[in-house]
Amino acid sequence: MDAIRIPPPAELDGLDDEHFRQVVRAFLHAHYPEHLRNPPKRLHWSENKEWYHILAREGWLCPGWPREHGGLGLSPVKQIILSEEYERHGVARTNDHGIVMLGPLVIQFGTEAQKRHFLPKILTGEHVWCQGYSEPNAGSDLAALRTEAVPDGDHYVVNGQKIWTTLAMDANWIFLLVRTDREAKKQEGISFLLVDMATPGITVRPIINLEMHDEFCEVFFDNVRVPRENLVGQLNRGWDMAKALLGFERIFIGAPRQSAYALSRLKLLAERMGVSDDPAFRDSYARLRLELEDLKALFGTHVAKLRRGESLGPDVSMLKVIQTELFQKITDTMLDIGGENGGLLEPMEGNRDLNIGGLYIQARPATIYGGSNEIQRNILSKNVLGLPG
Amino acid sequence: MSAAAPDDADRLESIRMIRDSAAAVAPPGGDLRRVRDLRFTGPGYDPAVLRGIGELGWIGLRVPEEAGGAGLGMGEMCALAEQLGAGLVPEPLIHAALSAALLAAAGERALLARVLSGDALVLTAWQERADTLDAPASPDGARRFLPMAGGAEAFLVPVREGGGIALYAQPAAGADLVLERTQDGGSFGTLRPALSGATRIADDVGAVLPGLLDDAALATAATLLGGMERAFAMTLDYLKTRQQFGKIIGTFQALQHRAADLAMQIALTRASVESAAAALDAGAAGDARRAAVSRAKVRATEASMLVTRGCIQLHGGIGYTDQYDVGLYLRKAMVVSGQFGGAALHRRRFMAAAPEVDE
Repeated sequence: MDAIRIPPPAELDGLDDEHFRQVVRAFLHAHYPEHLRNPPKRLHWSENKEWYHILAREGWLCPGWPREHGGLGLSPVKQIILSEEYERHGVARTNDHGIVMLGPLVIQFGTEAQKRHFLPKILTGEHVWCQGYSEPNAGSDLAALRTEAVPDGDHYVVNGQKIWTTLAMDANWIFLLVRTDREAKKQEGISFLLVDMATPGITVRPIINLEMHDEFCEVFFDNVRVPRENLVGQLNRGWDMAKALLGFERIFIGAPRQSAYALSRLKLLAERMGVSDDPAFRDSYARLRLELEDLKALFGTHVAKLRRGESLGPDVSMLKVIQTELFQKITDTMLDIGGENGGLLEPMEGNRDLNIGGLYIQARPATIYGGSNEIQRNILSKNVLGLPG
Repeated sequence: MSAAAPDDADRLESIRMIRDSAAAVAPPGGDLRRVRDLRFTGPGYDPAVLRGIGELGWIGLRVPEEAGGAGLGMGEMCALAEQLGAGLVPEPLIHAALSAALLAAAGERALLARVLSGDALVLTAWQERADTLDAPASPDGARRFLPMAGGAEAFLVPVREGGGIALYAQPAAGADLVLERTQDGGSFGTLRPALSGATRIADDVGAVLPGLLDDAALATAATLLGGMERAFAMTLDYLKTRQQFGKIIGTFQALQHRAADLAMQIALTRASVESAAAALDAGAAGDARRAAVSRAKVRATEASMLVTRGCIQLHGGIGYTDQYDVGLYLRKAMVVSGQFGGAALHRRRFMAAAPEVDE
């Protein structure tokens, strides 16, 4: 490890890929807090801000942002390598909506004043963002959202409700998709609005999920007054902007690491249960391994496209479906061989690597979030196979 | 992040050219009248087309240039096999290519030249039982599952002798050969070797035969890929035109999701086959080579059956008729998917050869 020098941020994108991978490993070895490795649940800001501030201090916080705005300016392929190495090391996700979603939006569509105001505050961690998209009646059909922003002098007045807002209780700012034209076709009356969570009229209520974790919230807006200058981009063009942000990052949700990790837990569990050599288990395990290897090969074809400078097509949806359904099949098999241990709320034998029920529960939302797998199949049939609507 | 396909522009171009040249024998979207006319006839393929395939250099695609071949890689071989699979081409290219590679390794140039030109179909009689990739090479065991054997001029018979595997060439004339018809309209031959009338052409091919059988297994996976993809394309066309309940049936979500599932199987098969070919061309050896081939063969075998039977279902009654082409693809998959080892065999082989999962 000590043979690898960690170059300054501005030099990272110039390294060759394999050298870059070694640098990331050395960086994590040098800087990542050991007690935060492989957290069993998504961490709150109070727990992960330590890592956020280390990344900020070292200039590594925003891998995809251009260097002129304080990012690393990494190519897509290097961002994938970075993400692979973070996952391999068991790095906790931070409250990263500002980094991953809002920053790129402001950089692409914001005014100079918005860039000057908001980007530095993400880089310092002063602003912690959450994303207000989904609503109780606008889930898969997101464009049906009804939270409304009505002009009133220098302000918009926002009324409505958002749901599944990840870590909203930790955030001090929220970016919203709001309806600004009730008469237009549903995708054409939506705008993008930035809201200070301290504004009067906002209520945040945590939701306990099946992990018994308060990862999500409901956020209520009751006559919340938002300055007009907090609108990003053109009025009524918010839907197009949100869609334009869905770039190559869609590949991440289909990255094989999640399933690779689960499979390694299955192998460990099989050893503990004494079924490693059982022919029925061997057959199930072989099928899962082969599925993982072919997923890696398919993932590799998409990465190769990025490497050639091509953009990803709608067929990237396949990765999400295959990866998340494999993840679930692996955890199904864990429950299958674990017997009564599958019903335990805590990890078996106090070993965090043998958390059968926990991993099974964690695998459930994978086929729901990021566009449910049913929606992904709709996308595939229409945009890849050309089947009629 | 294993590269699934070669990134090298020259290789990609070489593979593209092979694909294009395959149109000479299997035009994309071409009708299947020739294929239909050859079904359930002897020998089940057209010797003139086999000569044409020889003239195109395909039988010796993998044979080194100094032995009269083209010296190309598995990437090219798989691209070609895929195109021929899409066109249901009955001429047994993969089996002829196996014999050519074996003859080249044995240094038997006279017979090799006739095989490369397509003038002679020579089949390698390596197999003594169903569902295997091992050549036990016993001296008197019947050799099974020889495709299109009725048209063969000679058989190559590997025989275990001493510490190695000797290779004999036995003329087809006068051989004890029994043919059984297969679902695709071809045949499998069973040969009872008679070494007294055979020529011993190599002392030991034991070092090369397993690798050549692996190459054939991977090319067979590519054949299956081509077939499932064409059957699926036909099915998509049907979903976009057939009407029921006053609507195009492709608008029904139940059918759309089935189609999406089949498309994902095809994408996984392509990634699996192309990454395996790239691994072989990059020099993968030993366990890594066997694992790559077996992985691709498992996927292609299972996906080809899943996709072709799914295509029948999506067509409904018309898919169950012999006159409609989609059924030809199912029947071809039934014959080809078992060749050079079925899914269960290759799963076991993968587990024996593959390194442990990367944590």
